[in-house]
Amino acid sequence: MILPPFLRSATARALLSLLLVVGVGVIFNADGAFYSWDTHRDMLRQVSVIGILACGMTVVIIAGGIDLSVGSLLGLCAVLFSLFTIHGGWHPATAAAVTLAAGTACGALSGGLIARFRIQPFVATLAMMVFARGLAKLVSEGQKVSTAVQQADGTYQYVAVPPVFDLLGARIAGGNFAVVTLVLVVCLILCGVFLSRVRWGRHMYALGGNEEAARYAGIPVRATTVMAYALCGGLCAVAGICQAAQELQGDPEAGSTYELSAIAMVVIGGTSLRGGTGTIGLTALGILIIGYLEKILSINAVGEETRLLLTGIIIVAAVLFQKGGQGS
Amino acid sequence: MNRILRLAAFLLGSCALPGIMLAQTAHWTIGMSQCNLGEPWRVQMNADIRKAAEAHPDLRVIYKDAQNDNLRQVAHVEELVRAGANLIIISPKEAAPLTKPVADVYHKGIPVIVLDRRVLGDQYTCFIGADNRKIGRAAGRWIAKLLGGKGKLVELKGLMTSTPGQDRNAGFREGIAGSHIEVIFEADMKWLEPNARKEMESALARFPAIDLVYGHNDPAAHGAYLAAKAAGRESAMKFIGIDGLPQEGQMYVRQGILAASFEYPTGGREAIETALAILHGTPAPKEITLPSRVYTKANIDAGGELLTE
Repeated sequence: MILPPFLRSATARALLSLLLVVGVGVIFNADGAFYSWDTHRDMLRQVSVIGILACGMTVVIIAGGIDLSVGSLLGLCAVLFSLFTIHGGWHPATAAAVTLAAGTACGALSGGLIARFRIQPFVATLAMMVFARGLAKLVSEGQKVSTAVQQADGTYQYVAVPPVFDLLGARIAGGNFAVVTLVLVVCLILCGVFLSRVRWGRHMYALGGNEEAARYAGIPVRATTVMAYALCGGLCAVAGICQAAQELQGDPEAGSTYELSAIAMVVIGGTSLRGGTGTIGLTALGILIIGYLEKILSINAVGEETRLLLTGIIIVAAVLFQKGGQGS
Repeated sequence: MNRILRLAAFLLGSCALPGIMLAQTAHWTIGMSQCNLGEPWRVQMNADIRKAAEAHPDLRVIYKDAQNDNLRQVAHVEELVRAGANLIIISPKEAAPLTKPVADVYHKGIPVIVLDRRVLGDQYTCFIGADNRKIGRAAGRWIAKLLGGKGKLVELKGLMTSTPGQDRNAGFREGIAGSHIEVIFEADMKWLEPNARKEMESALARFPAIDLVYGHNDPAAHGAYLAAKAAGRESAMKFIGIDGLPQEGQMYVRQGILAASFEYPTGGREAIETALAILHGTPAPKEITLPSRVYTKANIDAGGELLTE
């Protein structure tokens, strides 16, 4: 495929894909609902949690790996945070810190298995995906951790929602921006700075580009690998806390199949699964493309079967479009 | 050779030991094959069975969770037979794959109670379940009455490839038939609260006036409530859900979030009661349809109100 010069950069191609999707929204605007800011604000809220996962996924994919455990870790962290704050009555800062530590530790464990024992990332994180889901179900006893607290005699006592949930579930700037979207923006900026300005971040590209060469160049390959997955795990904890705050409960089933949406966001943006290339900016565009696609299908009340068909077709089209630009 | 004999003796001994111990404590062994403990409603079903069985020290219940896998559940039924179950309770994942395993057990003379979802044919002892279509119809009638026979409504459907989703939809449409209630927006939220919230946000963006949201389960109604609350419109509409679990639907009703939740009973207690009757030689009816309740703020402290048709 020969592309005009202005489409030579991956960012330009991702931007054009986004414009095309928004164009579809303008055509199928559902009686003008697409022109309302509320629709866009809601779309941004909806993609925030998976977008945070996509930030971590970008780092891991650039470092030449993949992390299938992000959805399960989100579920585990949502359960932990709810247990600590709703049932335990902990201070939200303590609860958040422990949840973050748990997510980071799970990520580091995956990274350790990959770096130390040379287990393939797909296999190691698949194992973590199953393990973390099991752990989430174990600590929650298979039930949603909500404001209904079961007593010893089997009856339920109803407690109030902790203020931190209201804070994270709220909106700012005159109700025009969800707090969770702000969290996503902060995660995007921090990951962007990390990947482009911090030495350890630059190491991710070297590691994903060519592990042997990175080793000869004196890059601590094992530590870098562990760091990529630990960072991703930490972001899963952030996403889990946001998910719990929005649902007002910790659902042990939360986040199943989110890993696939997160990978789709990264890949549609233009970051290659082969590793070594890509930016957070591309992922931000990928998040918007998937977000608008879902929103447009939803406001038009498109049936489930058509949604799945269209989503599949558009993912392939967007990725082919990105591929077409490579090597030209 | 000697070593093999010793191993065989050890294995035999370790198999026999629990049997001897059991013989002293439990008189009957019931096998419970659950299709998926990933759903809170099914966790509640097992909890109801456990609670009912605890009152009978001569009962021992072995629990199996097939984790939403038909073939695993087939294996579990065989395992329960080998474990010497005197009676099997099964809540099958799907009808077709589990019909033959259930029939095989039944023909061996082991009574089988089929709970909640059906198998094909009649090769089982007793079926216990609630009727989703009836509950959907009751919800439809109740809503029509609540709205005075007219209004704009959002329906957040469960997975429409599953029979509960289809029945809760079809029954509801029968219930509102003849009224001037209009379903202005419908979407498949696949039983999941985050999906329900997303779809509700779209409905809110599109329609300035919505009178009521009918969710096929309580999490859907709750997700819709959260979306409406974020838009500052929650007091302009009512929310109705189905399932009525104590920690979900009943709590939401108590908190004033849902106007009503329609109970979808698990049948756990009834299954143990029926099992005991069968084990003591009383013939059980072929089919037991569980009554359902509606919970509203007015009746929740009294334990809800029984639905009558």
